[in-house]
Amino acid sequence: MDVAGFWTRSWTSDDRVAVRQMLAPDAEIEWNLDAPVDEEELVQALHRIAVFADDVTVLGQTGAEDGVALSYDLVAPFGRARMMEFLTIAGGRITEVRQIYDVVAIDRYFPGLYAQ
Amino acid sequence: MTQPEVHLIGGSRAEALRLAPIATAMREQGRLRPVLMAAGPDPVGVDDTFAAFGLSPMITMPTGNDPAEALRRFDAFWGGQVPSAVVVRDFLAAAMAAHWRRVPVVQIDAGRRSSDVTPIGEDADRRLLTQITTMHLSATPLTAMNLLDERVAAGDILLTGGTAADAARALADRHPTAPDRTRRLIVVGADAAPVVAALRPLTVRYPDAAVVALDDQLPRLDRAALLASAYVLVTADDDLAEEALAAGAPVFLVGEPGGLTEAVDAGSARSVGPDPATVAVRMAGLLGSRVRRESMVTGGNPYGDGLAAGRVAQATAALLGHGRFPDPMPARPVAGVSR
Repeated sequence: MDVAGFWTRSWTSDDRVAVRQMLAPDAEIEWNLDAPVDEEELVQALHRIAVFADDVTVLGQTGAEDGVALSYDLVAPFGRARMMEFLTIAGGRITEVRQIYDVVAIDRYFPGLYAQ
Repeated sequence: MTQPEVHLIGGSRAEALRLAPIATAMREQGRLRPVLMAAGPDPVGVDDTFAAFGLSPMITMPTGNDPAEALRRFDAFWGGQVPSAVVVRDFLAAAMAAHWRRVPVVQIDAGRRSSDVTPIGEDADRRLLTQITTMHLSATPLTAMNLLDERVAAGDILLTGGTAADAARALADRHPTAPDRTRRLIVVGADAAPVVAALRPLTVRYPDAAVVALDDQLPRLDRAALLASAYVLVTADDDLAEEALAAGAPVFLVGEPGGLTEAVDAGSARSVGPDPATVAVRMAGLLGSRVRRESMVTGGNPYGDGLAAGRVAQATAALLGHGRFPDPMPARPVAGVSR
């Protein structure tokens, strides 16, 4: 199964049930936003991006033995921001999510994405 | 005791020029084992640049222009040989691969921004790189402040200066001949080629002046010698301008000053309009008055004091638990004012 493809399709189409199902129990989650993160916070942030963004494009995808790196272009009404995502995959589920946002662009074009 | 292995990744000639002095300093300090990597779309050019310093890359990895492919190659390589840290300048894909494997990323010339507000472009890549950098080594106070503006922790930033000045010194030492001062050379970067035709008539009015179009493929030693001989450099390329300032040549910046506001403030660079005729008028003024040119030279190079490579090497070693962090680059004296 193309776990990464299913993951991106799920969250960009705001399918929160599928997003939760993709995450393994006790999945490790990290991001560089100035707020604590757990599974629920991650799902909420992805939900907010999905509903606020005009478009989300996968700019690049790099596979590795146990995971994948994804590069996104998040297009908001007044500008766009980049995000990198590193997923670790085991047994068809995601065991680790690490997200790197361009925080300057996120704060400018996606206000309210996360609770500061 | 085994020395920690640090990979210095040159993704372009400009990056290689700035990394080479760091590799030399790391070897001299004896705390780290530097491994030079020639990567990016032009690894041969990177290799040639390292060779100008008497160095050769231990690893050559053509990565092309596709960031995803570059990321894949670095990740595959580091799967078998994990470094203790990597040092990059602008190479986002390499830094991402290191971050993915939780290898500390050290960035030199950190905090440079072009002030380009378009959200996708050079600055977007630089901001992302900032987010995954472990230690930010800035060339100037202004670039350090750019990082603070982006909420980087002050303790993760060190003002080391830029290593282009170290490179200029090293290349000058290696070049067999002294700079040519018999003619006033107006060197024009390849990016500003349309200006050449507008400048040529000035050589009739000033017979000791000559206009030289800089060939990008010129060997590094010859290029450094040419910049050291330049009466003035005309370019729109920030990296080339910084190399000229490091070699002691003033700069006419065609178009917006972009990321070189410090040099414009110091007076060693001037922003001239993109119109070739305007550049020619400004050049005539500079050729007509040596005082004007010397006043520009007095502005100096705000991007480094020639000791940055040693600070970068020491800071990287300290990050890995070897020794203490260096003192930051001292504040630059105001031109013409002794302290």
